[in-house]
Amino acid sequence: MKEVIFDQLQEKIYTETLDNGLKVVILPKRGYSKTFVTFTTKYGSIDRTFKPHGKNEFITVPDGIAHFLEHKMFEKEDGDVFQKFGLNGASANAYTTFGRTAYLFSATNKVMENTKVLLDFVQQPYFTAQTVDKEKGIIAQEITMYDDQPDWRLYFGTIENLYKEHPVKIDIAGTVESIQDITAEHLYTCYETFYHPSNMLLFVVGAVNPEEMMAFIKEDQAKKSFNQPEPIERQFPLETKAADIPERILTMDVSKPKLNIGMKCTTAEQQGQEMLETELSANLVLDNLFGRTSPFYEKANGEGLVDESFSYEFSMEEGYGFAMVGSDTEEPDKLEALIRRTIKEAKESWPVTDEDLERMRRKKIGQFMRSLNSIEFIANQYTRYEFNEMNLFDVVPTLEKLSMDKLKTAFATFSDDSSYTIFKVLPPTV
Amino acid sequence: MFNKTKLQNGVHLYIRKTKQFKTVNVTIKWKAPLEQKTASERTVLANVLEESNAQYPTLSTMRKALDELYGTVLYTDVSKRSAEHTVSLFAECVNDEYFEGEDIFKQLWQLIQAVVFKPNVKDGAFNQAVIEREKRNVRDRIRSIYDDKTRYAQKRMLEIMKPDQPASISAYGTEEAVASISKESLYQTYEQMINNDLIDIYVVGDVNESEIIAQIKEFIPFGAREVKKMSAEQHDHSVDKVKTVREQQDMKQGKLHLGFTTPVSFHHPDYNKMQIMNGIFGGFAHSKLFMNVREKESMAYYANSAFSSHYGIVYVTAGIDADLEGKAVQLISEQLTALQQGDITEVELNQTVALLENSILGANDSARSQIEIYDQYKELDENFTAEKLIEKWQSVTLEDVKEMANTIQLEVVYLLSGKEGTSK
Repeated sequence: MKEVIFDQLQEKIYTETLDNGLKVVILPKRGYSKTFVTFTTKYGSIDRTFKPHGKNEFITVPDGIAHFLEHKMFEKEDGDVFQKFGLNGASANAYTTFGRTAYLFSATNKVMENTKVLLDFVQQPYFTAQTVDKEKGIIAQEITMYDDQPDWRLYFGTIENLYKEHPVKIDIAGTVESIQDITAEHLYTCYETFYHPSNMLLFVVGAVNPEEMMAFIKEDQAKKSFNQPEPIERQFPLETKAADIPERILTMDVSKPKLNIGMKCTTAEQQGQEMLETELSANLVLDNLFGRTSPFYEKANGEGLVDESFSYEFSMEEGYGFAMVGSDTEEPDKLEALIRRTIKEAKESWPVTDEDLERMRRKKIGQFMRSLNSIEFIANQYTRYEFNEMNLFDVVPTLEKLSMDKLKTAFATFSDDSSYTIFKVLPPTV
Repeated sequence: MFNKTKLQNGVHLYIRKTKQFKTVNVTIKWKAPLEQKTASERTVLANVLEESNAQYPTLSTMRKALDELYGTVLYTDVSKRSAEHTVSLFAECVNDEYFEGEDIFKQLWQLIQAVVFKPNVKDGAFNQAVIEREKRNVRDRIRSIYDDKTRYAQKRMLEIMKPDQPASISAYGTEEAVASISKESLYQTYEQMINNDLIDIYVVGDVNESEIIAQIKEFIPFGAREVKKMSAEQHDHSVDKVKTVREQQDMKQGKLHLGFTTPVSFHHPDYNKMQIMNGIFGGFAHSKLFMNVREKESMAYYANSAFSSHYGIVYVTAGIDADLEGKAVQLISEQLTALQQGDITEVELNQTVALLENSILGANDSARSQIEIYDQYKELDENFTAEKLIEKWQSVTLEDVKEMANTIQLEVVYLLSGKEGTSK
């Protein structure tokens, strides 16, 4: 077991990669009541074309399968896993993103027992034709629920506009139609391919004794047998640099129009420290251009072009990335013009001063320290960073040395006009 | 838990010293009776104070000062509980120990002072442009409930169940009340809030108690005020006839909301028993609603119950195919009937106690949760601890749960669904 101390942050992590390939990370937090454990596979909705474990041909599986599999992991021959967690006083859950599926619980009691329940249920699949069919009704209602949420439609609609080929454009849960094709065999194929311990990470944070917990996990894993690990081969289509669809409008029953501008990132193959620098730099640039201290915001807020829903973000994973700026607005065209002009002017004359950079650096460092109060943040983000070959605890040292040139480079990755798209949700015209 | 100090009549400080967090949290709560008109005034006021003050007249200068202070957080919000309306100021800064010689915490008090005691006021009125902007923001926030069909359906159910009562009054008030705010009325609301509201100040973090008392005296010296008891909960829980209301909008899913009335509320001696009843009914993933409506019948992705204890309401929400309304209502009623007939196992009881225990102990891991939970429970017991609450839950019996289930009565069935031709 390896110990790594982060002096400045007063945190210490314990890590070990077990014989079966599973990476285990433990972070004890002083004074905490809860223990939060996540068990995550590097497998999400975008992993739809791949070589199944032990096979040589690529296959493409129905959309929404990673999320479907997540649902079905909870049902076993002897009943529902929530019942077991409940008896042990653990609150359990799971989620699927574009690139990850995470199973998790938090508990203030019986932490070892609950960790055992977590390891067992994720490592013992049980799918039958009947249980798979039964789930279709539940997931269809989940999809329908999201269909009625305008902000959800706005966000995913924008991504769909940006990408022509990449599966990030496909809804994580699939569609009511696509999930009808999912079978128990599909689930086993995906499970065998992506749920091997060598493709997974177990993170334990909070009230935990690291030595005892590591020994407990090692003993459990040593008792279980797994296939020989194989490198996973995924296939992704070639993506164009330009946004696929420049503009789309969706009519929904909303009280006020919604506008979102998406900007597709041109460097999408980064990993590791390079990716961390790009990500942090892009966030600083967006903060500077669109944050509450920016001339843009002062103008947009002053003229009533934005309201409390105004937001912006930068998102990057292996293979894709984008920036977004959006708000509910009575004047989507004016707001769009102002956002475009802000970007254009930044390209013509770099707006970030040294003073701005120092201020934002301090802000981001403070924000990061604050987020370390949340054990949920630590577990989820550490895993995401690790899957992208970055280290969460490099954020502060990286911020400290981020240069203006890095900001300029990051800005250049999403400031090309052709990579822009507009998505609007408009109320029906009377 | 929290150490209480009376600063003035009606102004109290609660401190929790802990090295658990990397930050210090400060929350100030101003409490007044809940009314439509004043709720809107106070909501707009909270926004105005956050956006502008005499020291930092623009949002940009204020936000820059906060950013310089290592991303210190400072914002305001409003909420309601029972018949009480609260304006809260939330602030959080990084512990001084991480950045030597910066004195961040002291600077935070100066910023709070600017927000609370140095309003951007001339001739007894706030800046007109700022007011107009924030009136519009609050108006749009009220309107936007319409875009979130679950929240909208819940709002409608409460309006039908408890018209013009605190249970259905929004903490933001109404669009009309927002429209009628003037710069003079807003300044009166400000004076009223600063001088007459009950004030609770919370501080959680690695702090020095006497230092904080001195800082509060220096920077935010609130005067004494009269302590008034806010009107107690009054519930009418006789149900003559179940009201069924169906409304339609352009949408796909059916939003089914059932309102049940109960004489058991927060101050009732059986309050803790009702929390357990709700947990078994639909509060958790092992509950009767989750296991039967979702898992067994595959009818819904979510089917939950919640106990709105301050208003004596238990409600059930489920997202369903609107054509199956009748079946869903029947299934939900069957789960309640099972509880009323005592069809409950020790396992269900133990799971529910264990999960409630987990949630109250787990709340210790967030400074904000510690503050919000204590702020509520101190009304029942100033020496509240999670352990005392857990003891109460552990003493609840199967018979108690059955008895609680028998106090609740269905009052409203509300379904919000798609219009003809848009549902598929």
